[in-house]
Amino acid sequence: MRLPLIFMACSAWLSATSAWAADRSLSVTIYADDLALVQDRRDIEVKEGRQRIEFTEVSGQIRPETVSLAAADISIIEQNFDFDLLTPAKLMEKAVGQEITIVRVNPATGAETREQAQVLATNGGVVLKIGQRIEVLRDDGLPVRVIFSKVPDNLRARPTLSVSIIGARAGTRRATLSYLTPGLGWKADYVALYNESDAKIDVQGWVTLTNSSGTTYDNAQTLLVAGSPSLADGAANNYRPPARRSTLQVPGTESGNRERLGDYYLYPLAERTTIANLQTKQVSFLDVHGVPAEHGYEFRNRWLGTAEMPVSAKSIYSFSTSAHAGLGDQLPAGILRFYMRDKRGDPQFIGESRIDHTPMGSTLSLTTGDAFDVKVHAVVEKRTRIATFDWQTDMRYELTNALPRSVVVKLRQEGLWGDSSIKTESQKSTRPSAEVAEWAVTVPANGKTTLTASFETRY
Amino acid sequence: MLGLAIAAAPQAASVLAAEILAEPPSDLIVTVYRAPYRNGGSIDLDDLQGFALISETRTVHLPAGRSRLRFEGVADGIEPASAIVTGFPGGVIEKNRDARLLSPAALVASTLGKPVELLRTIRKTGKTERLTGTLLSDAEGGVVFKSAQGIEALRCSGLPETFSFEPVSGLSARPTLSVEVRSPGAQTRQVTLSYLSRGFDWAADYSATLSDDGKSVDLGAWVTLANSNGVGFPSAHTQVVAGTVNRESGEEEVEPIDIGGPILAQCWPRGSTSDVPMMIMANGGRSRDEFRANAPAPMAMHAASLQEVVVTGAKKVQQEQLGDLKLYRVPERTTLASRQSKQVRLMDRSRIPVYTVYGAEVDVDEDDADSVPAHRLLRTKNTAANHLGLALPSGSVAVFGLGGGQRLLEHESGLRDIAVDEDVEINMGESPDVQVTAKKEKVSIDPAHADTLPLVPGVSLRSVKIGAAHRVAISNARPTDVQFELRLQLEAGARVVRADHALGAKNGRPIFRLKVPANNTVTIRYQVAHTGDRILRTP
Repeated sequence: MRLPLIFMACSAWLSATSAWAADRSLSVTIYADDLALVQDRRDIEVKEGRQRIEFTEVSGQIRPETVSLAAADISIIEQNFDFDLLTPAKLMEKAVGQEITIVRVNPATGAETREQAQVLATNGGVVLKIGQRIEVLRDDGLPVRVIFSKVPDNLRARPTLSVSIIGARAGTRRATLSYLTPGLGWKADYVALYNESDAKIDVQGWVTLTNSSGTTYDNAQTLLVAGSPSLADGAANNYRPPARRSTLQVPGTESGNRERLGDYYLYPLAERTTIANLQTKQVSFLDVHGVPAEHGYEFRNRWLGTAEMPVSAKSIYSFSTSAHAGLGDQLPAGILRFYMRDKRGDPQFIGESRIDHTPMGSTLSLTTGDAFDVKVHAVVEKRTRIATFDWQTDMRYELTNALPRSVVVKLRQEGLWGDSSIKTESQKSTRPSAEVAEWAVTVPANGKTTLTASFETRY
Repeated sequence: MLGLAIAAAPQAASVLAAEILAEPPSDLIVTVYRAPYRNGGSIDLDDLQGFALISETRTVHLPAGRSRLRFEGVADGIEPASAIVTGFPGGVIEKNRDARLLSPAALVASTLGKPVELLRTIRKTGKTERLTGTLLSDAEGGVVFKSAQGIEALRCSGLPETFSFEPVSGLSARPTLSVEVRSPGAQTRQVTLSYLSRGFDWAADYSATLSDDGKSVDLGAWVTLANSNGVGFPSAHTQVVAGTVNRESGEEEVEPIDIGGPILAQCWPRGSTSDVPMMIMANGGRSRDEFRANAPAPMAMHAASLQEVVVTGAKKVQQEQLGDLKLYRVPERTTLASRQSKQVRLMDRSRIPVYTVYGAEVDVDEDDADSVPAHRLLRTKNTAANHLGLALPSGSVAVFGLGGGQRLLEHESGLRDIAVDEDVEINMGESPDVQVTAKKEKVSIDPAHADTLPLVPGVSLRSVKIGAAHRVAISNARPTDVQFELRLQLEAGARVVRADHALGAKNGRPIFRLKVPANNTVTIRYQVAHTGDRILRTP
């Protein structure tokens, strides 16, 4: 009772050549912003004339508009990316109007009865025409196997790229398929161990690669690009996150010996690697010991306002990326995690900070968190109107330190808009910008320092 | 034949790394950090927002050359990017975290396009038919199978059907971290793996007992820590860290993980003639976006329900300084089991002098309002003289008092991180016995008609331009005198110029501190002037 249709269907299916993945060479270039360029070289078997070539094992998130295929002596007619997925329901839906084989299984004896049926409809239930009768499939709940003779051409288990080409001559040749895909990304992760006794840090840098593209890239030559090329199509992102504390104090002016692409730095992985689907992979790129680091405190009062409670100052660590007394490398964007040894000598996590792409020779100043023992209480003592557009604000800052050593807090009063000047102050300030006044306040061990300043603001 | 179209990838032929399994941890250190953005209050056992640093010491037996070392049994909440492995002389080539777990769905996915056996049993006879074929699809959970007999869908016939798979590699039972290392020769080493993991939290839970006279409290506290991971940490050095540490990795930074699922054998529409028609679903083609949206969701940590609560004995945690944080060490090794919350004694202090203050805030510019109950506060200072003088990590505080001869809960509130020498304020809720009624008594444009309350010291007659007179009545229905603080909220530039009670200042704002006698009412009257001149302008 085997149908001749099966063989017909199979030959139709085979008319599409599958790009055989055996002799394959992959190279993957991953940008920092969830974007990768995949270059896939494989041998393809080309016949003379028109044919379709299917590429499996491509990224499940391939951007089909970026696909390009290059091989000798072929011309491309069209490229298709099929993402209609093969499911039992789709299989039945596409079989409407066609013949299927049903096998009734007698529950008492297990005996099989085969019949040919035509699928009339699949709306809510499957309606079949068997001979001259109409039946609903498995309406009585008895077992019925349904056998399809073929899978419709464009139903796939996985999204599949197919290219229709005309071959100028038959034969095997090397083809290069390249495309862009999201789902692959990387960032840097840094581990910094701060040694309190000599104020030095050891820093290790790792690139962290993640693959959620749905495909495994076997034995790929991998290149990481520290930069995010902007996407032309609709991906223009006008959203700017709220201003964060700037980590880059002084931008560096030194050049490293890393390879570059335009203005981006390149980080090639030393060995070919397999990037499995849903894998997070880390490869080391930086290991520096004994870099001098400075620990300090910073408090930012965003405007001339009162806090009801004392607020913790930020704990700040700063260091250089210079070749002299620094990390001696440019740093790709990522997260830097600080550790410090406890009394038993075990490293403990003390906070993390995000850094942007940082040129060599820069000074970085990173927050690890709030200082438990160093707090600042900012209070508006008095606000007086001198004239209609002229106000005087008397501020008092109480800095407390519950540590057994004295600390210096960099106190920044921000939000000095308009024509702001300081009339009187208990300690000399500096003005890094018109909107900011800054004091370096020393707070004695287990003690307290009060700073007062009177601001006149005209606008 | 059809298998060609869904071509199998070549097995990773290049890397001939020996696969080595590290021994289970011989030593464990667990340091629990609080939820970074919680400022006071208890932990939520259903959704632990904190994290932990876990350090495991493991023994590994390395062969010469390159090998892939697997660490099984790491916490499910591991943040793989934070993993550090130390102890290898030749260094680490790469670290991997494979998030594809062994599950029925993963078995089907990894067998796609490869030979598989379909087992079909006839219920009546018990005979099993074995059918060799290929999986064509597992898309959207529907499994399509091809054999020499044709194409069929799994479990749509009503017959008992299942697959028998060939062994697959690369799927592990639990999230597994692996590192590729190179060793100059065969050796046995102790290596340390440390990583950050989600699904932990801790808070301090204080309980304060007020003395009979309400003038002192006994304060005790527990450290409550919890682990919602599926992995336990037996006999670990355990500590907790107080203070706010900066965290940058947000939710979007969670590395993808496929926690697996069952084989969903979805069929074609299975309605029968006896079904009541409901709604016809338009079943269009699935868009690519939907396909993308089907990416595995990050593992839901909060789904874990915590099963066990363990309270340990009288040994207190030891505090030490860790940079700008406070570290509390549990004195003995302890087991932090999977889905467990545990309590360790933080402190016990007795006879801490406190005083009770009632208070209210009044917005001067607000129109007449109904009377509101005053709030009640317990105040003290965190000093050694007050039998305190130690860092108080944030958490919740429950205050107990004596009522009807019993120790009863009076109020529960949150407490922030309090350093030594700071003021401590415990919120005791509202007191219906002490009511505050604020009224605007009189508005006078012409100073000649204004009431003349006593001038506030420091205010000269000439500078006074009077707007309105305000009256605040504070009634006390308690049988004892209460200490009361009335704080005023003024517009910028405004100040209180006349008042019939002594005026003070707190945080730059005017405050009246007074005693309200038992079963009595006190009225405060004050007048406010604005530094601007518009008050005198004719409307």
